[in-house]
Order: sequence, then C-alpha cells, then structure tokens
Amino acid sequence: MNSALERAAEFGAELGDKVSLCSLHSGPGLFGIDTRQIREVLGALKPQRVPLAPEYIAGVVPYRGEVLTTVCFRVLLGLPRLTRPRTVLVLDDEENEEHFGLVVDSVGGVVTMAHDALESNPSALDVRSMALFDGTYRMPSGLMVRLDPQRLRPSRLAESGFFAASKQEVKGERL
Amino acid sequence: MVAPLQPDKGKVDELTREFIAESQEGLERMELCLTELEKHPGERELVAEIFRAVHTIKGTTGFLGFARLEKLAHAGENLLAAVRDGKVIPTAEVVSGLLELMDGLRAILRLIETTGAEGARARDEDSRLIAMLAELKAGGSSGPTVVPAPAAAHLPPASALLADSPSATAVAINLEQATPLAPPPGAVEATATAMPAATPAVAAPSMPDKSLRIDVEVLNRMMNLVGDLVLTRNQILQCSPGAQNFPELARRLDSVTAELRESVMEARMQPVGHLFGKFPRMVRDLSKTCGRQVRLEFEGQETGLDKSLLEAIRDPLTHAVRNSVDHGIESPEDRIKAGKPAEGVLLLRAFHQSGWVVIEVIDDGAGISTERILAKAIERGLVTAERAPSMTEREILQLIFVAGFSTAKHVTNVSGRGVGMDVVRANVEKVGGNVDLESRLGFGTTIRLRVPLTLAIVPALVVRSGGASFALPQNSLVELVYAPLREAETVIERIGTAEVYRLRERLLPLVWLDRLLELEHQPSQDELGFYIAVVESEGRRFGLVVDDLMAPEEIVVKPLSSALREIGMFSGATVLGNGLLALILDVAATGARAGVRPMTDGSKSSEAEAETGRVRVQEAQMEMQRSMVIFEVHPGVRMAMPLSLVERIESVPVSEVEFAGGRAVLQYRGEVLPLEDEGEVLGSIGATSDGIRAPAQGRWIADKSSSASEDAQAAATVLICLRPGSHGMIRTAMVVRRVLDITAGTLLAEDAAGFSGQLAMVGDRVTTVHRAFTAGLSDQAATLQEVA
Repeated sequence: MNSALERAAEFGAELGDKVSLCSLHSGPGLFGIDTRQIREVLGALKPQRVPLAPEYIAGVVPYRGEVLTTVCFRVLLGLPRLTRPRTVLVLDDEENEEHFGLVVDSVGGVVTMAHDALESNPSALDVRSMALFDGTYRMPSGLMVRLDPQRLRPSRLAESGFFAASKQEVKGERL
Repeated sequence: MVAPLQPDKGKVDELTREFIAESQEGLERMELCLTELEKHPGERELVAEIFRAVHTIKGTTGFLGFARLEKLAHAGENLLAAVRDGKVIPTAEVVSGLLELMDGLRAILRLIETTGAEGARARDEDSRLIAMLAELKAGGSSGPTVVPAPAAAHLPPASALLADSPSATAVAINLEQATPLAPPPGAVEATATAMPAATPAVAAPSMPDKSLRIDVEVLNRMMNLVGDLVLTRNQILQCSPGAQNFPELARRLDSVTAELRESVMEARMQPVGHLFGKFPRMVRDLSKTCGRQVRLEFEGQETGLDKSLLEAIRDPLTHAVRNSVDHGIESPEDRIKAGKPAEGVLLLRAFHQSGWVVIEVIDDGAGISTERILAKAIERGLVTAERAPSMTEREILQLIFVAGFSTAKHVTNVSGRGVGMDVVRANVEKVGGNVDLESRLGFGTTIRLRVPLTLAIVPALVVRSGGASFALPQNSLVELVYAPLREAETVIERIGTAEVYRLRERLLPLVWLDRLLELEHQPSQDELGFYIAVVESEGRRFGLVVDDLMAPEEIVVKPLSSALREIGMFSGATVLGNGLLALILDVAATGARAGVRPMTDGSKSSEAEAETGRVRVQEAQMEMQRSMVIFEVHPGVRMAMPLSLVERIESVPVSEVEFAGGRAVLQYRGEVLPLEDEGEVLGSIGATSDGIRAPAQGRWIADKSSSASEDAQAAATVLICLRPGSHGMIRTAMVVRRVLDITAGTLLAEDAAGFSGQLAMVGDRVTTVHRAFTAGLSDQAATLQEVA
C-alpha cells in the first residue's frame, strides 16, 4: 500500500524509526494499529444490529451526533460473534472522510516498535487474512499482527468479496 | 495570497470556486432583472443591477486571469453602460442579446468549474457574440434617446465596493447589507445553482451546493448560544449529584438547545424565491417555442424552506411549470375563442401550512379533461374498461402521476413524453412530500407540491419487530390496526402465497417486517395479537405487521454509511429518547422488496377489484353516510354512535372519578357530568364495587390493601357526548370498555329486520346504535345548535 508507505516515511522523519501502535486482542490473537489512525477508543458498547447487513457488520453505535457503522473483527477472523458489550475503536476512513468503528475484544496498551521491524505477510497466508493484515511484528511474547484501518473499511470489505458470505465459511487461519 | 491562477487539471482553487459561486449568483439576479426589464423598460434600478453583475465578473476575471471571460464581460458592460446612460433603449432585441451574453458567461463559468480553464482558444464563438453586442450598442446610439436621465447617479455607492470585489470574493460570508440587492431581498442568499434551462443534462454541480450565505446576525446569535451551552455544561459538570439547582440547569440546557436548533434551522432556511428566480426566463423561452402568451406571477417568494429541500424540489417544480405552459395554457387563438384574454396567467405560489411548505403551480388554462385521461388510460392498459365508470374524478386525475402516462396529442420537445408527472411525484415523495392535482375543465389546473419544512427532524412512529426498534415516518403512515391473535385466523386470508387483510372491504397485502428483515421471530410478551401499520408510499399501500407499537417521536434523522445504505431498506437511523438506536424504514423500498405492486398497476389485481367494489358502495351510500364511533360497552358487543354527538374521547384516571349521591360523576371543564357505566367497566378496571360502595370522603380513594399503585394508574375510556334530554341536548359522560374505530357508517331504516333498536351498517357489519342516542338522531341538527 502506497499510502501506508508514505505515512511510514513521514512518520520516520518525525520520530526516527519508531512507530507507536495500540495493541488489541480479538480471540487468541494480538493485533496492533498505528495510534495516529485511531480517533477514539469507546468503552464497552453493544452495537445495534442492522438487519440484512453483511455478517461482518457488527451494527451501529451513536458517536458524536453521527451513526457509526462498526465492523466486527471477530467475524472477519472467522471467530464466533460475542454477545457481551465490547470495545469499539473509532477509525478514520481517509477516502470518504467518514469514520467507522472496529469492534474488538479488548484494547491493551501502546507499544513502540522499530519501523523496519515489520515483516511482510508470509506467502502461505490465506487470502482473507492477506486482505486484512498489513504485516507482523515479532514481540517478546509472540507475534503482533499490524492492521491497516484502510483495509478494514466496510466499503472495502464489501468490495473484496471475501467476507460477503457469512457464518459457515472456513475459519481464517491465524499466524 | 493573491497570485495569478495556475489552473491545475480538474482542480479549481478556492478563490476561483468562490468567484464562480458569486458570479453565478450575480447572473441569476441578472436573469431575473432582464425578464423584468422587458416588461418595464424604464426601470433604472434593474439596469443598474444587471450592470453591477456583469461589472463584478469583469473586475474579478481580470484579476484571476481569465481573459476570454473578461473580454466577453467587457463587451456586455459596454452595451449595458449605454443602456444605463439612456443611449440604448432596452428593446426585446437588446434583452435577447443580453440573455445570450448571460448564457455565454455561464457556459464559460461552467467550463472553468469543470476543467479549471476557460476553454480552447481556437473556438471563436465569443467574437460573434461580442460583435452582436457591439452592434446593438451602435444601433441604439444612433436611435432616439428616450431615457435621458443620468442613471449613473442612481447607482448606489455600494457598487464601488463591488468594483474591487477581489476582497469580496475572498470572504465566504460578507455583510449582505453592503450590497442592496433588488429582487430577493432576503439576508440569506443562496449561492447560485441555476443552470440554464436549455442544458438540463448538466446537472447542478455539487460545488455551489456546499456553500451558503448566512446573515452575520444569525451567526452571532448561534455563537452566543454555543457560549451559553458551554457555560451550562460547565455548571452541570461542577454540579454535585443531587444539587438543588440541577432542575434549573436542566431547564436552561433544554431552552438553549431548543434555541440553538431553531437558529441553525433558520440559517438553513432559504426563501423559495431563489427557486422561482429561474422561471421567468424559462417561461419566456418556453412560451416562445410553444406559441403561448404567458404572464408569470409570484406569491410568497419569501417563504422559507430548508436548503436541501429547495434543491430537492427544483426538478419537480421545473417539470410542473413546463407542463403548465405546454399542456395547461392554450394558444392565444384558443383562449380568445374560449372567451379568455389571450395572455395566460401562470401563478407560482408558496406558503406555509401546518408544518409544511406548499408550492402551487396555478394556470388558467384549459384544465384537464377527465374523459381524455380515462380514454388514454384504458388505451395504455392502465385501467380496465370495466373499472373506469366507477372511478371518482380525483382518482382519474391521479392517473396523471402514473408512469408512462401522457395525454399530449403530440410529443413535443418540451413535455409529453410521458415521463413528466410520475417523476414529479417520485421526487417529491422521496423527500417526504406529496403532490396533488386539481383541475376544472376550461378554467385551469393547480398542481400542488407539499414538502416538509426540514428533512432533519421527522415525526415518526417507533415500532418493534423481532426485538429491534424501527422508526416509521408518519407521512407514510395511514392508520394502525390491532389484530387480536384469536381473530388472526379469520381476518388474514391467503391468496396463493400472499397474505391479505380485509380492511373495510379492501384487501390489504400484508408484509411481516420480521420475516422480511430476516429477524428472529420474538413472540410479543402477551401473545395477544399484533399490530398492522397501514402504510402508503409511492403508490404502494400495504399493511406492515409489527410486534408492538411504541411512542410517536420527533426523530432526528442521521445518515447511514454507504455500506449500510446499500441494503436499501433504511433511509437513516436515529437515537431514540431512551438512548437506543433505531433504523428508519424506507417504506417504499420495504414495499418494493416485499413485492407489493403500486396500486394503480393496470392488471386486474385483487386490490383493484376490491377498490372498485368499495367505490361503488361508497358512491351509493355517500349521502346517507356519517362518521361513527365504534366502541364496546359490554365485552364483544359492538356499539356505534354518530361522531357528531361525541365531543371528546377522554382517558380518565380512575382516581379522578368521584361519587355524589351514590352515582359516579366526573368533573369536566368546570362542569359536573353524570358518568354512565352501563357495562360496569369502572368495576372491572380497579374501581371495584367495594370501592364504589365506600365513597366516604366524597372522592374515591383506592383501597390501600389492594394493589393501590395499579389502581391509581388505571384509566377508563370516557366518551363525552351529547344526548337528547327533555330540554334539548345535555352533555353526559359514558364509560366504555374500549373505542374500536372511527369510521363511516350508514344508519339503517328503523324497522330493518324487524329489530326494535336503531341499526347502522358500519363497514360490512351491522352494528347497534347506542339506544340513548337513537332518539336524538332525527332532530339532532336543530338541537345541537341549542347547546352551542
């Protein structure tokens, strides 16, 4: 992704070679999103389901006078949906100047990583995960998958077609 | 920041965008003034106004570096200066020339807007225009000078301010007072969006849509209110839980919010006159092509309408006006033959009416021949020949709005392709409005567009289905029907796979919302029945079956993200009073998805058949019909009472029922009314017979030992009505079990079926008229007056 590289370049100029990521959990996996791409972290919420919406749409939540569409990350990973209220990250959709929400199990903390520590997706990764993941960082405790909010946009997910069909699909393999 | 423009491919910088918006606004004014000028050639102010518009464009273009535009504007300015100084008389020719100049300027502006540059240098079409303008100027100067006054003196000093308008274009909001404008005097000034009628293909570009002129006063007031809001918030944040002044703070918050909302709405309001502005030119051109003589008149131009709605009804209104000129107003010869003045009058009228903005297009033309419509409709297969005779005039007129209908004998390039009025209706309904048509043969036609004041806040009914809340916009809601579960088997009938409900002798297609939305069916708590919301939109009428009805609410409409808009069933979402989100159902799309066909669909659908039957019955009974209140006093026994005898239907808390002399009475507007309780309803809802027998303190108090809290809230339905007494009509109150319906019914002859009491036919059912009121029916009219 060009834009990601551009951002990385501009970031490198600011903070040296470091990038700060917000770590988050969904299912057994550990993920990270660049903190500058997160607008806000909303506490435990239960999105209102939208009938007939694609399975990966968790629903809508009110956010600053707008209605925010949220994506359920668990469904994207092929995990069963949870019914308890969960954390919603508000992310920017740069192209349409819209925001959207990402529903994750929980948010950890901020970790700073060397920029060049990002390793690209292994070629053996399945297509669905390829479409979602940006790359991987090796952490002392294990791997952290970096996510690019642009790839998680509801409109982008609809275009990709990998997530259109619902429930019974094969579970996405994790790293 | 002031630098010559380097147009970037496809990109237009902000300065240029503002310039375009401002210039278009100027040209719009110019257009208005020009058509006025043709009628009143002596008006100095009009010329000055046009001059100013062109002069501003010329001044700014030179500065921005658009040479072609400047050259053309300069030529126009020369001619206008001559007109202003009285050297040239503004004849029809001159006006036509100036209109051409305006079209030329607009074309270049559009080019700049889309490409960022003012166009190919090779295309020399401007030179012809410039030559023509020069010729007009020369031709005028040799002629007699009829307008000799030094018009320049009439130019307001503000034109000097406009002359150095680079500064004016640089600010989006400038003080409007500095430039006294002639026709639209409103302080709120829309940036021009009107495109010449000749090029409808180039839809109004999105750019001018995005800017809005606001009176600085309004903005200041909004800022003050925001300041107030912040202060109140601070106080609330510092307020300890349970603080004494909390209610006061809450009240203040409430009033500040309401005021803020009002002023934002006000800022968005635009006078309808902006929309009317382009019609003089359009009607002028149209009447020339169609060979008509039309005088266009306006009324209520200052009527305010939300900007987004103004845009939304631009096209429908244009269609309606074209239709009126082309089909409505006759040719001058025909008009004279019909004994009317040769010049037809087209009146555009706008006014507010109970939360709606009504815009009427009234012509004094030939009117619409219902026979011709019917003949055409039968020919097109829109109506069956059998059904035709039973249609009311109104129904026939409604056929005009059916897709593929056009009565024009010849297809003209103005209208008559049959894609006119259905588009008008669809567009107006899309923004929650409706279209109506009235016509008198030989006297003219009125097309009435009704649109809500704003799109942002909509009255809606919240319903529940499958465990989720949905909002149904009130404007598509016709009525609500409760179907008890035990009757469900009998009232719901099946035709093939479709289910229908028999509603007053009409078959209503039913749509189960939970099934349609693939929700899990959640049986309602009591399992006693379900509700049918009868809705109608875009000609589709159907019953939407929901589990429960919640409160009606004024909802604030929030748009959905594109991913959810694609579902196509929801027009938005809203936050309800309880903090939950509810999706707003798009009723038309719901009907379409469920396969409900528009009612006027030509085929012999069961719907149409039912319709025919209904109309016939109605017509036969028209004279004898009266509105009836249908209610129950004894369980399961339907009773009817003429609505004219019922003053009010009240829900009275049981605690307000008092007893005097062993009889239940009710205080009603300072009067003590005897409370009739034939069906012993009071006893059944909490005022037990024990309670009634113990009215010790006069006022009945709930027995504390029994479920007191329930009793206090129990309410009785009471009809406040008039009944014949010995001295005319007396007012009385009657407790009923429940009110079932208010509908049209017919009183049957007294001795029908040898029955002693009075009977009425209500819908398809025979119903007893409450005996207390049978006596008064005959002389009811006379006695009613006595009471009044």
